[in-house]
Amino acid sequence: MLEELERNLRAVRARAYVRVVGTFRELSWVAFEIAMPLLSVGAYVFLYRALGAPERYIGYVLLGGAMTAYWLNVLWSMASQFYWEKQSGQLEIFFITPVSRMSILAGMAAGGMFMSTARALGTLVLGSWLFGVQYRMEGIWAGLGIFLLTLAALYGLGMVGASLFMMYGREAWHTANLLQEPIYLLSGFYFPVRALPRWLAAAAGIIPITLGLDAIRQVVFPGAVDGLLDPGLEAALLAVSCAAYFVLAHAALRKLEDLAKREGRLTLRWQ
Amino acid sequence: MAVRMRLRAFRLAAWLGWQMESNWTDPWLFAVYSIIKPVSSALILVVMYYVVTGGQTQGDLFAGLYVGNAFFMYVGQLMFGMSWVVMEDREFFRTFKYMYLAAPSIYWYLTGRAVAKFLVTSLAVAVVLGFGTAFLDLPLALGAVRWGYLAAVLALGILACVAFGLLMAGIMVISARHGQGYAESFAGVLYLLCGVVFPLDVLPAPLQPVGRAIPFTYWIEGVRRALMGRGMSPSLAGVDDGAILAILLLSSLATLAVAVLFYAWMERIARDRGLIDQVTEH
Amino acid sequence: MNAIPDGRAREAAVLAQGVSRWFTDTRRQRHQDGSDAPAGPRRVVALDRVSLEVQPGELFGLLGPNGAGKSTLIKILSTLLLPSEGTVRVAGYDVVRQAHQVRRRINMVSGGETVGYGILTVRETLWMFSQFYGLANGPALKMIDEYLETFGLADNAHTRVNKLSTGMRQKMNFIRGLLNDPDVLFLDEPTLGLDVQTARIIRDFIRDWMRRRPGRTVLLTTHYMAEAEELCDRIAIIDRGRILACDTPDGLKRRVQSHSVFRIEAARLDAPPEADGRWPGIERISWEPHPATGRTRITVIAADDAAVTPLLADLRERGADIIHLSKVEPTLEDVFLQVVGRGLGEHSGA
Repeated sequence: MLEELERNLRAVRARAYVRVVGTFRELSWVAFEIAMPLLSVGAYVFLYRALGAPERYIGYVLLGGAMTAYWLNVLWSMASQFYWEKQSGQLEIFFITPVSRMSILAGMAAGGMFMSTARALGTLVLGSWLFGVQYRMEGIWAGLGIFLLTLAALYGLGMVGASLFMMYGREAWHTANLLQEPIYLLSGFYFPVRALPRWLAAAAGIIPITLGLDAIRQVVFPGAVDGLLDPGLEAALLAVSCAAYFVLAHAALRKLEDLAKREGRLTLRWQ
Repeated sequence: MAVRMRLRAFRLAAWLGWQMESNWTDPWLFAVYSIIKPVSSALILVVMYYVVTGGQTQGDLFAGLYVGNAFFMYVGQLMFGMSWVVMEDREFFRTFKYMYLAAPSIYWYLTGRAVAKFLVTSLAVAVVLGFGTAFLDLPLALGAVRWGYLAAVLALGILACVAFGLLMAGIMVISARHGQGYAESFAGVLYLLCGVVFPLDVLPAPLQPVGRAIPFTYWIEGVRRALMGRGMSPSLAGVDDGAILAILLLSSLATLAVAVLFYAWMERIARDRGLIDQVTEH
Repeated sequence: MNAIPDGRAREAAVLAQGVSRWFTDTRRQRHQDGSDAPAGPRRVVALDRVSLEVQPGELFGLLGPNGAGKSTLIKILSTLLLPSEGTVRVAGYDVVRQAHQVRRRINMVSGGETVGYGILTVRETLWMFSQFYGLANGPALKMIDEYLETFGLADNAHTRVNKLSTGMRQKMNFIRGLLNDPDVLFLDEPTLGLDVQTARIIRDFIRDWMRRRPGRTVLLTTHYMAEAEELCDRIAIIDRGRILACDTPDGLKRRVQSHSVFRIEAARLDAPPEADGRWPGIERISWEPHPATGRTRITVIAADDAAVTPLLADLRERGADIIHLSKVEPTLEDVFLQVVGRGLGEHSGA
């Protein structure tokens, strides 16, 4: 049991190491992943300014912009990574090792999180400084706690997504591509999610970022009274969805790996 | 002969691009897929606008940002489409080196591969505009559209998109696998600087000249004038339609020239360092 | 053909019983009338009731042409693919139900693969894989350094993987396969595309590793006859998903020793004649044209020496020049021809 745990933790660290080292060896991302996303989020800031929106909306946009880093990491550097690994022949080498697929994915996530966090911090810190965003300092710790819960649930969801890539190729890739913008919309990355019809916002709650963003905004921005639910309730729901997604991911990875092995798709390339 | 060879490369690349873009599913699902993304992207702006104005969409500002956002999709998609070819062919299919050997011109090959993106984006733009007209009071009347002007502006804008796509492709040639998101990041910067969803005048003063140096600023303004009879940026109000077209032409050609030279430079670096067929995934 | 010997004394390293694997091809197929309508799913059989048993400590070879089913079998044995029917046990565990137990005891090296992340160095890549087997850092790195030395890669330990030559990459891949000191090592065409010297280093290492690690088992797939003959204790000949013969190299060759084997080199032979039993006494014949020299290498397995005479007369009648004719000791190549009915490089034959 302990031996299993150690092996899996070592696998997480090793797979994360690849990402972190790779990131440091090709530094072109600093410009593209820190400076540019901030400028890109700036477009929405100026739109709100042009519309005369309340100042807290600027903070909403920056927070949403910061969270895009994690959403993109989950979508492109974790879920769909199995597609790339399959193509390069790496997936089969990983899959003959005695470690859990979730450890491999967790390693990818942890390694990718390094670049995502740099991007998110760049957007949030530089953006807050540039646009003069005000925070409720007493809400920062609660916000951080909700943020961590959100990430855990989000990466659990990413693992569910990864299971699809074991079975499918380009279909899954296009599905991931398809999800990118609709999730920006449904999760309220750039506006309070309560602006959506109530039923739609509630349905969007299955995406952890929806509840996470809404709760964090309520606790860290002064005057944020436009939340969907009470932040405490949202945090509780996130904790539940976190557990649910990890259980689901475990089952989905097992089920789809089995199916992929049955249909001979696990090692099928150029799908 | 050389021209014919290049055109053949372009045509084949366009066919290949279409296969990659569309053959993973059946046509109706592909059509739905092609529409959901852009409509969602447009709706983000709509909701942002709604949440502040309390549901008003009749203003000039809304029409301007909606149209600007719709046409800007070409920028994002073509830039991504052309630069992604390098990454996908090199790291995924491992065919980039063979394309270098086989294609008479890598420029025509990259451009050809973007044709599918152009077609799909054109459909998306039409759907987004139709959606705006039907449901969001977008003041768009087909009879009032200046079609000739629109065609000229559109053609030059696409030329500028290709130029920026080539610039990004050049960066991809020397970038590692994590460069797949660079085109999107860069498109985001252009989204800010070119006054796509707000008047250029709202930008801080030091950024406004940068915006004025980019062809997309004139492109989006020209498209607004062609479709709705008026632009959005007060600072461009004094520039007449002909001048918009002329500036767009010159800036697009200049960008294209810079892009071709830049790509050649990046390619030289890649060949020097042995990066043409590198596999860098991590 | 059943490749399971009687009277097993201990748990086999690999035990496959009646293993079949088929794939369903649902693509649209062109009909004979030229229409492109769906023809319904088509079942493609990759393995057909394969049974084999490999004992611990054995170096077992699977010899067959491309598409024979070798890699499919390796994938099943290494838990990457489920059999459509039959049972498979590796290192004493069922590959379907106890895959995790199997994975702890096996490793696999495939030829022609690009393994590892281009952005990492050789040493980092191997360290990463060692962690997947739960090895502690110190011993793992020590072992990696020793293997790098053994394979002549020590100078490239800090070279990025994407800068390695094909041979170096395969050596690294091979080291990866040894990191967990596997009980059963699957080698799927491990010397594919390598130069003679690198292939030699790998073959020598396999033999040496087997000697130093008694009880370790290697299952090697190859279509290089010499490699199979040189390395393997036993060889199974596989073709079109079926095991057609299984024995020691000498045992296999004995099957042909009662026959006469001839090599003929002919020039100006435009097209090989259809055999169709036209030369009595000739059981198998294979034709290998060499377009560069314009010559054809013909291998003949005949019931006796005299049986080759009508063939030679027929060839001369067709205008061919017989450049060389010799009677030879049978090799595995001849066994393959005898068992399969065609040469390893041929798609069809006599």
